[in-house]
Parts: sequence; structure tokens; C-alpha cells
Amino acid sequence: MSADRLELPQGTLDLLILKTVALEPQHGWAISERLHQISSATLQIRQGSLYPALHRMERRGWIKARWGISENNRRAKYYELTRKGRAQLEAETDAWRRLTAAVAHVLESV
Amino acid sequence: MLTDLVLRLRALFTRRSVEHEIDEELRFHLDRQVEAYERAGLEHADAVRRARLEFGGLEQVKEEYRDALGVRLIDDLRRDARLAIRSLRATPVVTVVAVLSLGLVIGANTAIFSILNGLLLRALPVHQPARLVHVTDSVVRDTGETRVRAWAYPAWEQILQRRHLFEATTAWSFTRLNLGAGGETQLVEGIWADGGFFETLGVPAVLGRTFSARDDQRDGGPDGPVALINYGYWQRHLGGAADVLGRSVRLDGVPFTIVGVAPPEFFGVEVGRSFDFIVPLRTEALLRGRDSALDSASTNFLSILARLKPGQSLEAAIAELRRAQPQIREATLGPWSKEVADRYLTSPFTLVPATTGYSNLRSSYERPLLIVTVLVALVLLIGCLNVANLLLARAIARRHELSVRLALGASRGQLARQLLAEGLALAIAGAALGLLLAPYSSRFLVRQLSTPATRVFLDVSIDGAVLAFTVVVTAVTVLLFGTAPAFRAARVQPVGALKEQGRASIEQARGGLMGWLVAVQVALSVVLVVAAGLFIGSFTSLANRQLGLQPDQVLVVTVDPQRANVDPAQRVALYERVRDAVVALPNVAGAAISYLTPVGGGGFTPPVEISGIAPSGSPSTPELIAADGNVFGNLTSPGWFGTFGTPLIAGGDFVEADRQGAPRVVIVNETFARRFFGGGSALGGTIIVYPNTPRALPARIVGVAADAVYASPREPVPPTWYLPMAQFDVPGFPFATVRLSVRAEAGSPELLTRSVAAAVARVNPHLTLTFRPLADQLHASLTRERLMAQLGGFFGGLALLLAALGLYGVTAYAISRRRTEIGIRMALGAAPAAVVRLVLTRVSLLVGAGVVAGAGISMWASRFVDGLIYGLPARDPTTLAGAAIVMASVGLLAGWLPARRAARIDPVTVLRES
Repeated sequence: MSADRLELPQGTLDLLILKTVALEPQHGWAISERLHQISSATLQIRQGSLYPALHRMERRGWIKARWGISENNRRAKYYELTRKGRAQLEAETDAWRRLTAAVAHVLESV
Repeated sequence: MLTDLVLRLRALFTRRSVEHEIDEELRFHLDRQVEAYERAGLEHADAVRRARLEFGGLEQVKEEYRDALGVRLIDDLRRDARLAIRSLRATPVVTVVAVLSLGLVIGANTAIFSILNGLLLRALPVHQPARLVHVTDSVVRDTGETRVRAWAYPAWEQILQRRHLFEATTAWSFTRLNLGAGGETQLVEGIWADGGFFETLGVPAVLGRTFSARDDQRDGGPDGPVALINYGYWQRHLGGAADVLGRSVRLDGVPFTIVGVAPPEFFGVEVGRSFDFIVPLRTEALLRGRDSALDSASTNFLSILARLKPGQSLEAAIAELRRAQPQIREATLGPWSKEVADRYLTSPFTLVPATTGYSNLRSSYERPLLIVTVLVALVLLIGCLNVANLLLARAIARRHELSVRLALGASRGQLARQLLAEGLALAIAGAALGLLLAPYSSRFLVRQLSTPATRVFLDVSIDGAVLAFTVVVTAVTVLLFGTAPAFRAARVQPVGALKEQGRASIEQARGGLMGWLVAVQVALSVVLVVAAGLFIGSFTSLANRQLGLQPDQVLVVTVDPQRANVDPAQRVALYERVRDAVVALPNVAGAAISYLTPVGGGGFTPPVEISGIAPSGSPSTPELIAADGNVFGNLTSPGWFGTFGTPLIAGGDFVEADRQGAPRVVIVNETFARRFFGGGSALGGTIIVYPNTPRALPARIVGVAADAVYASPREPVPPTWYLPMAQFDVPGFPFATVRLSVRAEAGSPELLTRSVAAAVARVNPHLTLTFRPLADQLHASLTRERLMAQLGGFFGGLALLLAALGLYGVTAYAISRRRTEIGIRMALGAAPAAVVRLVLTRVSLLVGAGVVAGAGISMWASRFVDGLIYGLPARDPTTLAGAAIVMASVGLLAGWLPARRAARIDPVTVLRES
């Protein structure tokens, strides 16, 4: 465990999950692994908190869940992006970029 | 949105499979993570540990997941409910007592409210009742409400002709119809209804048809005289037979064909009464023949109802009506004196909303009913306070359990919520029980209102309003008794409670809150006991009031000559023959006939003028006593006063010689003599009945009778004059029904029924008779006061009992909590009496405070019963003192019993327990 993992700002977990699922349907563990790999283990995400987040997003209609068979022949719940989810992903990505640009701008100019 | 709802519902209803899925999904994750760590080189045990750490606690994650399901609240509520029921079942005695008390008080409130609803609030079960109005004039009662008057038939015809005034209009009147074939009557309730009755009200027949203007002819319409039958009557008396249509029924001897059955919820337009048959208005001529009210301009018997045009406002309708008023009045002027005629012509018409119908019952019972509603609400409060104390004690006894739960991580809010859930469960159970009991009680009470002469019908079924009321009352009860224990629980200190293992400590037994709840109970009970005392006192004083007659031996027989086909001019002679026949019977001490009888309903108030001997001894100028209904009259035969047991204190009774052709005589009562003749003797004075009209009757006063009750024992005896029936030869006076009063020598007057009926039948077999002992009529006239006394007594007694129980419970509980302290005191040498005194001091304080507060409230509240209490002032000090003493004694007794047990505590046993 790295000592200087960054805590995730509120609400960004959803964005990351949406992005991860955007490519193809994945089950919870795969999402967790992917996030871990891509962020080079920088982000501090408690693995368990993925699942409540996943369910909340499911309730909002951004992702759809389906039971399937995983790579090792076990039952697993797969999540895939819905149309609404895709729109949400775009919107949030856009917002994030603008936010970070604005914050960076402030930090540089002051 | 939809997805959200679907998922939540799924989580709600297929909980187990959802839980299973969560478990499976999380296990999958953990297993894969463990595999990953194993592949990275860790030992299995280490991999598992690390995976778990990375994951977060499994149970915690599951909890979070469950939160995310969106059914947390419902879950919690479900769990609270389950726990609540389980914990209530664990203390069955407390639960049963609480549910029973709640059921009783909630049921009482619901019962009274359903009566209130039925009498005051409910709209008529007709089409769009809000568009209906009564047509009346502008006379206002002293209660401030406009009197809905009855009209004579000619006035109705005028209004009927003017179709442009309203969308529809109709007239109706209640009447009694005789099903019997002769001799003793078999009366049913009937309504004369104009042809447009059902159309105006928008009421269809549930079987067959209603009648219309076509059937409303004097001799009956194309189908002859038709009738509609009441649904309940059809079920009860005809067995709901399907062939009821076309059946013939004899009403007052005339055959009517039943053409339809009215809907079950329809009872007419008068709240408090219902009908058995509805017949067309004009057939009244068929039944009453010569005495038909249709031909009279001064018999006011019709209520006129109208339906406003769509969009027409009340004011616009009134304006239009008043524009037509002058012609209507002119056309219907009767042969009245100038004063009466003037008033008739000028009193403006008006319209009064008829949404809730018309009701005589309402005017007599509205205020008492509201008072009873308040009383029963107080009983509810007292009952709730009892349950609150019960639950408080229970919560305190569960300190140990609650503190363990707190220590295990429950929040105070959760504990409070669970206790509230228990309170809610009790309240719901109590409300269910109450709803079950309420209809029986309300129907029972309504039955008490009925007398043989007046059958009361009131729809007290549980409808939306009553249910809403019960829900509100239940919510209030939960607030009252559920929150106290909940707050209590929230204050529990875990450590202290855990240590004590549920026993008392040296802390002053925190009966603080409970004690003051009991004091409030005592105060409210005092108010109820005072109310009971006032109502019971009022009833007793009325019942024992001097009536000026001796009613117990008197049988009143209403004689109806309808079918006897006797010329009205010959009727008096016929009645006199009847009287002679009856007087001759064995066991008859006397008999007489009269137009009216005491407490018999009705009043006769023609205008009179008085001239007599002024106190100075010289003839005074004639004084017109205006016809404002303050002077009452009656027409009697000789022997009437003797039959009723009213003594004559001056002069003498009428004699047989006082008839047509003989000098006119009159008897007056004491009040009359005092009012109009001052201290001097009334004998020799002159009265003129119907002065200044062609039918004026001057008569000389030959006797003064003692005051006797006229219409009601509630009112003071009015000035009354009596004329001999045989001398009352006013043209057009129908003498339709008269009363024959018979005094029995010994035994109950009811025993005379048979012999009197036989004797009358021998004179004329076509006279119909209705028998009623005078004592029954008196009994019936006091129904309201009797009912208030019974209810007041019942609720007062109930309140006393509840307060006593509450006091007993709280004291016993406080003692049990202080057992150790008491044991120590006694071990140190305190005498048992000192222990009792210790306990009783607090009890006395509570009871004393309660009694004083209660007396204060009673004094303040007495203004609301002004006018309903007879013979006592509303702030009667004796009643107040009596109530205070009763409450204090009961309270002290309730406190003394457990105190006595406290004195017998064995110090050794108690000390050994600690």
C-alpha cells in the first residue's frame, strides 16, 4: 500500500466507473482492477465502496446490470453503460475538464 | 425514475433474493482478489487477510450496499414494527391493559363523533346537496339562526307556479299514517311529497319507480294513489320480498299501491327522522277529507325546498324570490287579524342552505352533543395519560436492555424510534378495537333518543369523515403517550444502567414526570365528575319538579275521527258521548276531553284581549295581549282539571250547562291571574279570544286553576286560559283530533286500554285511538336531560376509575423503585406509619394540586353549560365541593393501598437483595 494515495474528491468515483464501463460491460472486480491499474495505484479507493456506488448508478439509469458467466466460469454481475449513462459520462467529463482547467488557471495566476 | 422505482420495489418485495445476490457478488469480488494476491505470491491466509483489508469490512460494505438499495427507511420501519410487536408480546399484561383502555377511549370518541357527523356535518344523501335551499322567511331564533318555517298549501302553490325562480322546487311534510284497520292505531312514519320531490332531490328508486307530478293528484294519478316504501322497512317488515311492487297497503284506510323502493341511504330531508312510506302530497285530501290541510290557508305544515339553477348564487336567488314576494303574499292572505296580516305581508322571504338538511333534533341536541364531545375528549386525554404512565414505567424497567443496545451501537434516535413504534402499535390496536366498538355504542345512544312518540333515525355509519377523525385521534394519542417513554429512553445513561441491573438507586425515584401526569389526570377527572354532578342534578331537579298535576294515573288517548265520517259540527257531541261512556267504566276515576294535553306537544296561541277589574277596584281599559305566542290556551270539558289532578284555587270548574247558548265562561291559571290582574281576584274579569274579528269570543272568568305544566317541564308555566270545548264554535276550527284523558282509580293506567277501546268502539267503531300514559310522555320529554345525566355519570365514573388506577399504578411503581431505601429506613428504626406518611405526602400533593386545578377549570368551563342545567347554577358550589371530595377520597385511597404494602416491607429481605 502506497503511503501517498490520493483521496477521491466527492462524486468522482461515479465518473471513473462510467468511463471504465464505457468500453465494454464488466463485473465489479474487473472495474476495481482496471481502476487500480490505470491510476497506477495512486487513487485510494476502498474496493467495497464500489458496489454501493454501482447500485446507485444503476438506480439512476446510467448503467444496467446483468448476471453472466465470468472468465473463470463463475456467476458474476456485469455492468454496462446505458444511453443515459453515456450522456452523463460526456457531461461529467466535460465538467471535470472545465473545473480542473479553471482551478489550474487560478493556481498559476495567483 | 422508472428504473429507480422498479429496483426499489424489487428490493422491497424480493428481499431475500436481493440479499443473496449481494452476497454472491461480493464473494465473487473477494475470491478474485484473493486469487490475484495468491498469484502475486502471497500465502492463502495472507491473501485473504489482505483482500479483506483492501475491501473494507464485508458486513460494513453490505450495510452500505443496503443503504444504496433505497429502502432503508422502510427496512428500519419494518424492523421497528417487528421488534415493537415482539417486545409488546413479552409484557402481555401491560399490553392488554393499554390496548383495552385505548380501545375504550378511542371508541368512545369515535362513537360520539359519528353521532356528531350524522347530525351536524353530513350532507344529505341526494344529488348535489350543496345546491339545495330551504324557502323560509326572515324570523331569527334567539340562537341567531334563521328559523326554517313551514308553509300553508296555498303559499306552496304560488311558489310552484313560478318556475322561473329556481331550477326545481318541491314541498314535503312529515306525517303519521295509520296502518291499522280500526280501533287502536298502528302508526308509521310518512312523508307527503310533492310530485317533483324525487326529481328535485335527484333521488332514484332502487326498485320500481318514483312518483312524479302525474301521480300527485287529489284522487291519485293514473295508477291511483301510489307510495314509495322505505328500503329498511321493506327488508324488515316485508322480508325484502321481490314482489313488493304492485302490492297494496292501507294507509289511514285508503289503499295505496307500492310502486317503488327508496334507496337504502335515503331518509328524507329531515335529519333525525326517517320515513316508512312516501306518498304524493295531494293525496292528503283523500286521507283527511274534510279536514284536508290543502284547503286551509293557515295550516302551516309544508317545508319548501328548492334547487338553485346552475351558476345561480344564493343572493341572486333570494333577490328574485323577494321580487315575486308581494304577489305571493297577497294571494295567500288568510282571514287573520290586522297585526298578523301585517307581519305576514312584510316579513321578507329568504333562502337558507339545505346541504345538511333540516333538523329539529339538531336544535335540541347540538349543544349537548358538543359538550359531550368535549367530555369524551377529556376522557381520551385521561386514558392516554394512563397509558403514558404505563409505558414510562415499562421503559424505565427496560433501562438495562436499552443501555445494552446503546453500548452495542444503536443511536438514541433509533431507540426512541423503536419505542415510538411500540406506542404506534398499541395505538393502532386500540384504534382498531375502538372502531369495532364505536358503531354499537353510537347506535345504542341514538336509540336512547327515540321515544314512543318520536322515532329518531340517524345515520351514524362510519364514513370517510369518521375514519379521518379516528386517524387523527389515534395520532394524537400516540403523540401523547408514545413520545414520553421515547424521550425517556433517549436519556438513558448506559454505564449507570448497566451497573444497576435494573434496581433502584439512591436517586430520588424519578416519579417526577409520572407524578405530574397523574396530577393532570386528577384535574381532568374532577372536571368530568363536576360535569356529571351538574347533569345528574339537572335531571333530578327537572324530574322532581312540581308539575301542578298528578301524572301517574293518567292515560291520554288521542282520538281521530277521520274515518268516522262525522260532520265537524257534530264532533264535539260525539266526543262528549265517548267521554260519558268511558267515565262509566269500572276503575275509572274520571275522564275528560280536551284539545291539548300537558306535555302533549303543540301549543294554542290565538290572540286574546283582557279586560277586568283593576287593583283599584274599577274596571280597567281593555289590554290587548299581542299574539306573540306568550299566552297559551286550551279547550277542555268539565272534569278535566280533576282528571289531571290540578286543583282549582278559586271559583269552580266548567259544568255541563256551559255549552252553546249559555253565557260564555273561561278559566285561567295562577300565572295568568297574577300577570294580568295583579294581586286582585281574576274572577269576574273578561277575556276576548280572537278580538276584533268576526269570530271573537268574549268570556267571563269563573275559575282560577293552579299552575300546571303546559308544553315542557323545562319552561316556566305560561299564562294559560281554558275555554269549554262545547262553547268553542269558531267556524272552520276542525277539531280533527282531540285527546281523551282518563284517570285510573288504582293500578297502572295502561290496564285501562282495553276497556276504554271497547267503550269507545261501542259509541263509534270508526274512531281511531292512540294510547299513551301521561307518565310516558313526561318521561320522553326529559330524554335529553336524562341522556346527559347518564352519559355524564358514565364518563365521570370512568374518569374517576382511570385516575384512581393511574394513581395506584404510579404510587405502587414509585414504592417498588424505592424498596431499598424504604428497607434501609425501616432497618434504621423508622416506624411503618412514618413510611406510609412518606408515601402519602407525595400522593396528597399530587391529588391536591389536581383537585385545585380541576376545580379551577370547572369554574371557567361552566359558562358553556349555561342554559342546559336546570335547578342548579352552573357554578354550583355544592357540586364542586362534592366532586372535589369524591376525587380526593378516591385518590387518597388509591394511594393508600400501595402505601400500606410499603409499610410491610421486610427490611431484612430487601437488604439481602442488594
